[in-house]
Amino acid sequence: MARKMVFIDTSLCTGCKACSVACKAWNDLPAEKTQRISSYQTQADFTPNTWTYVRFREEYKDKKMRFNMLKLQCFHCADPACMKACSSQAIYKTESGYTLIDKDKCIGCGYCAANCPWGVPKIDEAANKAYKCTGCIDRVESGMKPACAQTCQPGAIQFGDYDEIMPQAQARVAELQLTNPKAHLYGNELMGGTTYVYLLQDRPDAYGLPLNPTTPISLTLWKDIVYPLGGIAIGASAAAITCGVIVNLVRGNYANRAKNIAASHDEGGK
Amino acid sequence: MAKEVYRFSAGERFVHWCHGVAFLLLLFTGLGVLVYAFQPAMNVFGGIQVTRNIHRVVAVLFTLGMIIGFIGKGQGARQMRRWFKDVINFRKDDFDHAKNFGIEFFGGHKPFPPQGKFNGGEKLNSMFTILGTLCIVTSGYIMWFASGPSLLLQWAYPIHAACALFMAALLIAHLYLGILHPDSNQALKGIFTGWVPAKFAYEHYEKWYNEEAKETMKG
Ligand code: HEM
Ligand code: SF4
Ligand code: SF4
Ligand code: SF4
Repeated sequence: MARKMVFIDTSLCTGCKACSVACKAWNDLPAEKTQRISSYQTQADFTPNTWTYVRFREEYKDKKMRFNMLKLQCFHCADPACMKACSSQAIYKTESGYTLIDKDKCIGCGYCAANCPWGVPKIDEAANKAYKCTGCIDRVESGMKPACAQTCQPGAIQFGDYDEIMPQAQARVAELQLTNPKAHLYGNELMGGTTYVYLLQDRPDAYGLPLNPTTPISLTLWKDIVYPLGGIAIGASAAAITCGVIVNLVRGNYANRAKNIAASHDEGGK
Repeated sequence: MAKEVYRFSAGERFVHWCHGVAFLLLLFTGLGVLVYAFQPAMNVFGGIQVTRNIHRVVAVLFTLGMIIGFIGKGQGARQMRRWFKDVINFRKDDFDHAKNFGIEFFGGHKPFPPQGKFNGGEKLNSMFTILGTLCIVTSGYIMWFASGPSLLLQWAYPIHAACALFMAALLIAHLYLGILHPDSNQALKGIFTGWVPAKFAYEHYEKWYNEEAKETMKG
């Protein structure tokens, strides 16, 4: 299947949270009791039953207020840190650009949760498995839009083939830049290129997003340096002792062992 | 019976074996998480979720064993503290022993200065083990109790894995010297019974032999 893209245009978002509800409806996730976090935000973070929610930031400039609203979910990175972190081969990529968790292989270790630069995957303690937005892969593979995109009334979530949506996204940025030079795309150049790309109207931190999300250096060190070097060290050690045994055999050190040990010990001198 | 001298007190032997058995269990159960291909081996203990829990239980015993071994006024604890002080005190004589490690390892011999209770090579092995253990224990508890993405947790992973793998490499060489090496494996009896051959003690730890071990001679 061709590479897909989901374009989230924050300039069209009204903060209605219907995407969060649609996600629950399609994915059989029960409603949860919410409480006000700040502004109109009612969800602090992802939970096993909430894979997408809207984050609200109020920005005041020149006595005017703007809501910086952001529908959050997994970005579905092309080069995902979560997948690199997983030792159990439970995370995989689809050709269409989605990052998915195989629940049968997942052991609940939380390596993915600790290494995603956006803190997306979490561990469902009850199930002892990682969870996150699936991108509605079941819908997408049947030719439907993801539930959140399907439901969004102002059309802030556009879904389609990458080749088709990307030019639309770029045209929209160009249009907004005429009045707001800060408008830009967020995601397409991060983590190998994300499937979910945002149009932001201000710097990423104004939305509570990291400016420079990357694969942690510690993760590269762990997987690309420590593992192979550790393997080499163990292999070298095993090879060295094998040679040690052979060389000792050849030198006759085993044959002479008893004799060497029995040789009387002349205490105090050699 | 050949003459023997007393080398390891019951306390020292106890700590050594607690450490050894716990290390092997932790390594085995840890490898189930680290190496995917190794995961089926976890079925001998009932599967990966069981071994993940064993890893944590043994980790606590391992930590307590280490701490208890060092505290108190008993002979064992005093010997453990002495071992610690001895091995971190690495001097020229120790270096002159350790530099010939490769030659001795492959069954050769080169004269070295008289050694104390722990020779240069043993001191290095001990120091690596102390450092590795401190790092693996600290990183292990961070991995256990920290949650959410944080630098602390992210760095704990490579440290834990590096210590596990490099200490496993060290262990292979340690097992060789203790069990398979035709000269140094005379020490093996010492870590089971406490007693080692007097001649071996004299040849390997001349300073210790003359200053302390000689007095314990039996046989
Ligand atoms: C107090 C000591 C220790 C604690 C608290 C501890 C804790 C942990 C924890 C929480 C994990 C994460 C895996 C999971 O969630 O199932 C882990 C992984 C691991 N542990 Fe330990 N551990 C300790 C000592 C050791 C020792 C001594 C070894 C080696 C001999 C070891 C080898 C490993 C390995 C190989 C992994 C997998 C690491 C990876 O995937 O890169 N651990 N440990
Ligand atoms: S956003 Fe995080 S969880 Fe989603 S694919 Fe990227 S690294 Fe993985
Ligand atoms: S929690 Fe599951 S998906 Fe995440 S790293 Fe561990 S095994 Fe992989
Ligand atoms: S793509 Fe599907 S699973 Fe992901 S947030 Fe939207 S509705 Fe939820």
